Amino acid sequence: MRSADAALPLALRIARRELRGGLKGFRIFLAALALGVAAIAAVGSLSASVDGALKGDAKALLGGDVDLTLAHREASAAEYRAMQAAGLVSTSAELRAMTRAAQAKEGTGKRLLVELKAVDQHYPLYGALELTPPITTAAAFAARDGVFGAVADTDVLARLGLKLGERIKLGDATFELRATIGREPDRAVSAFILGPRLMVSMAALPATGLIQPGSIVRYNYRLKLPGGSDARAWLAELARQFPDAGWRAHSFHNATPRLQEFLDRIALYLTLVGLTALLVGGIGVANAVKAYLDGRATTIAILKCLGAPARLIFQAYLAEVFAIALCGIAIGLALGAIVPFLLADSLAHYLPVLAHAGLHPAPLLLAAAYGVLTTFAFTLWPLAEARDTPPQRLFRALAAPLRQWPRRVDALALLGAAAALAALAIASAGDRRIALWFVAGAVATLAAFRLSAWLIAASARAAARTPFVLSAWPTLRLALANLYRPGAPTASVVLSLGVGLTLLVAVGLVEGNLLREVTETLPAGAPSYFFIDIQPDQLKGFDEAVRGVEGTSGLEQVPSLRGRITALNGVAAERAKINPRSAWVLESDRGLTYAAIPPPGARIVAGSWWPADYAGPPLVSLDAEVARDFALKLGDTLTVNVLGREVTARIASFREIEWSSLTLNFVMVFSPGVLEGAPQTFIATVKASAAAEEPLVRAVTDRFANISAIHVKEALEAAASILGSIASAVRLTALFTLIVGTLVLAGALAAEHERRTYDAVVLKVLGATRRTLLATFLIEYGVLGAAAAAVASALGTLVGYLVTTRIMEGAWHFLPAAVAGTALGSTLLTLALGFAGTWRALGERPAPYLRNE
Amino acid sequence: MPTRSPPGREAIIRLEDVHLKLASAAGLVNILNGIDLAIQAGESVGLVGPSGSGKTSLMMLVAGLERPSEGRISVAGQAFAGLDEDALARFRRDNVGIVFQAFHLVPTMTALENVAIPLELAGIKDAFARARVGLEAVGLGSRIHHYPGQLSGGEQQRTALARAFATEPRLLLADEPTGNLDGKTGEAIIELLFDLRARRGTTLLLITHDPAIARRCDRIVRLADGRIIDDRRAESTTTALPQ
Repeated sequence: MRSADAALPLALRIARRELRGGLKGFRIFLAALALGVAAIAAVGSLSASVDGALKGDAKALLGGDVDLTLAHREASAAEYRAMQAAGLVSTSAELRAMTRAAQAKEGTGKRLLVELKAVDQHYPLYGALELTPPITTAAAFAARDGVFGAVADTDVLARLGLKLGERIKLGDATFELRATIGREPDRAVSAFILGPRLMVSMAALPATGLIQPGSIVRYNYRLKLPGGSDARAWLAELARQFPDAGWRAHSFHNATPRLQEFLDRIALYLTLVGLTALLVGGIGVANAVKAYLDGRATTIAILKCLGAPARLIFQAYLAEVFAIALCGIAIGLALGAIVPFLLADSLAHYLPVLAHAGLHPAPLLLAAAYGVLTTFAFTLWPLAEARDTPPQRLFRALAAPLRQWPRRVDALALLGAAAALAALAIASAGDRRIALWFVAGAVATLAAFRLSAWLIAASARAAARTPFVLSAWPTLRLALANLYRPGAPTASVVLSLGVGLTLLVAVGLVEGNLLREVTETLPAGAPSYFFIDIQPDQLKGFDEAVRGVEGTSGLEQVPSLRGRITALNGVAAERAKINPRSAWVLESDRGLTYAAIPPPGARIVAGSWWPADYAGPPLVSLDAEVARDFALKLGDTLTVNVLGREVTARIASFREIEWSSLTLNFVMVFSPGVLEGAPQTFIATVKASAAAEEPLVRAVTDRFANISAIHVKEALEAAASILGSIASAVRLTALFTLIVGTLVLAGALAAEHERRTYDAVVLKVLGATRRTLLATFLIEYGVLGAAAAAVASALGTLVGYLVTTRIMEGAWHFLPAAVAGTALGSTLLTLALGFAGTWRALGERPAPYLRNE
Repeated sequence: MPTRSPPGREAIIRLEDVHLKLASAAGLVNILNGIDLAIQAGESVGLVGPSGSGKTSLMMLVAGLERPSEGRISVAGQAFAGLDEDALARFRRDNVGIVFQAFHLVPTMTALENVAIPLELAGIKDAFARARVGLEAVGLGSRIHHYPGQLSGGEQQRTALARAFATEPRLLLADEPTGNLDGKTGEAIIELLFDLRARRGTTLLLITHDPAIARRCDRIVRLADGRIIDDRRAESTTTALPQ
């Protein structure tokens, strides 16, 4: 008896001999596996490249070893001294402002909202500000003939119709545009960037008159610490020294936490979509292996007759399948690994860093592991079937049993492989909850499509036996019979096409809903402009300026301050237990206001509003959702740091806020008598007809250079464009799934070609015309495509609904056009592929198939 | 050696100076060289000859499954010249039944579906009822829902016979129908074939290597190298098969 040790080399020898037959029949196998692995490897490599860049350029991105951000106020002398004692300090200020061409007379020319940044002579401490022409920052900003210099994004020049060397007006000051910005090392990535960058020197800022009490301005103090300093320890010491400073402090160790979190999340979604492509590819792998092993049944029976044990057969063909699989995986890894090199430049447009293109072993290893596990999970069953091929088939070629369930041990191994795949997906994900939902969703989707395929076959069987079809419509009966006959590719087609389609429908619906929310559904009451930084003494004049423009309406003004929540019910904010969903409220300064009467449209859901003449201890009305996430009750207290002063107020009411109304809303509204004395500005909203928009901005900004106008529609379009880019990335990956699905579909149909040709020949002998055969096959594929599309539409809609409402927490609208377009496309695709295969089958000459010799 | 119809009877198959050349890797191969043949309605003709003599090709031509390189063919009063593929398919549907050595059943259709399909194609309303009767007539009434793979060789050929006779064709073409069967099963199939033919008065063109089977026909046509080298009445049309 041959031992297991001796059997393995023999199995490998048999595998090698079988491989001499070439890769015919394995092309789809290779392509499906390679593409699936490539998708995952590409996303992983790209993510690692960006991650590497974010970490590598952390100091440049942060602007220093540490960054201290203060809202509304500059650092006190003591604070500044403490910073200077530690290292080199670079100060900058950021605010929004309106600019225009200096030559344009008042009342003419375009006004442009810019993100203004004023920097000192040490800027940037790390990295370089890339300018065109390549001049030094000193040359770019210095006063020349009494005029300071400025540098700007090319967009500023394009939108104002200016050239370098021309001048712009910024507040009360005039600047000469000396260079355009190619790369700003510490530019933040945010959806709330409302205009292009304009950069001037700190020395020039006072002349603009833009900094007024209460202005929305952010000061950054970046420090370059001496070598060997411990940035985190220094920050901790600073926090002890100035406990009430109210600044946000970061060290380079954690330079871009939100960006990194955001990118990790995107990478996770893309990886999961890539994994879907691989799962669909797995179906193709299973089909190819099954078709191959069916063709080898006689060889296997011969080997068994000659004394080969079942185990040897299994090992030999497992080795052969894995040899081919490893080729596919290697191709996929190679494709995936080059993606960062191809896309690094294009990504620079979206990211603050240049992706570090390179080979990243960890994501490649992960993609390879996915490939190996997928191969194992999808080939185990056909391999087990081949192992159980009865040697008697050489003597008695009765058909194999129509359905054969795997043995218990095989079923357990199959489950084990599937579980390992799921475990890998969950373990390697940054957000395990999402990965878990994905695994559950994938299992449910595969099960739903398998069930649908069974239902299609069962319905076709029932329909084909109805008297009407039996007696009157043989073409239809033949087509229906093709859907349920033994070995029909119904399940393969429905699965391979359906999963990709489900993804596309879901992505289309989520994207459609998000875009609809930010662009299409501008609420009826939404203002056209937000005006910010209105000084209290400018209110009257602002009112006059707005009302003087025909076509404006709905002017509302409210005081606006910035403050940071420091304690919830006496517990320091950083130690409070809150729902992470509302963590953003505590992360930085929030806008707040005060009012004697409830804001128009406010919906008080608990507690009551204070009397209009209230003059007691501080009260606050809070956003109900935030209150829920902070576990706050009526009567609890909230402590807010407003410009260094702590205000503790008791919660008097909760308001349900409809943020999407885009009217003036604040998380916190204080009772009168608390904040009136603090430096503050006003914020106003105005509705304007299309014709009144430009005149309105001119009227306000000509009169008050410090007031900035935010065009609501443009701001939303900018956000929509970012969303669109993300959706494109997801759609591109989802398209991978559809491509793999189409390959698998094509493979399933190609495997059918022989049978289809034979059927066509026999039917032609029996008198079937080409038209009858074509009609039969078209009905068959029409039904298959339509059924797959219908199920995919339903499942995709469900997934889209869940993602939109549960993960994105957005409003849901069913978008029939998005679904119908995808569904129609899929039906046509199936018909086209089916038609192509059928056409070839019909073209075959019958005689060669019918000859005996 | 040209053959003519006996006086007073109509020729259901007529081949005049038929040539067939097929392309192969070695160039054009002459398969049939000037065949002249007429077969009367109701006649049974055994087509014999060595392998490669052109028997199957001749049958393919008569079935309209192959087109002659030269010459004229008419079957059941229909000249094939100028008929397209679909017209020939309709012609077969209405006039011809074929039995193959390799059965050529559709493996993914049950026996009942295999027999019903030509009836369905002919637009016959009660196709399945008739197919069932046909299968019962060949002794397969209990196996109608079996797939070909689940039937023995003899059963498959009986299904093929039921299929060939289902539309009650005027002409039955049989290409070595017992070639894949053991002797006893083959005899039973031949018995069945001649019995069905006799009952329905079907014209039969039968290819066989078995002289005993050939002798059961009215006439024996012998082919060699693509030519008819002998065409005569069978010695005895009543010779019983050895029991």
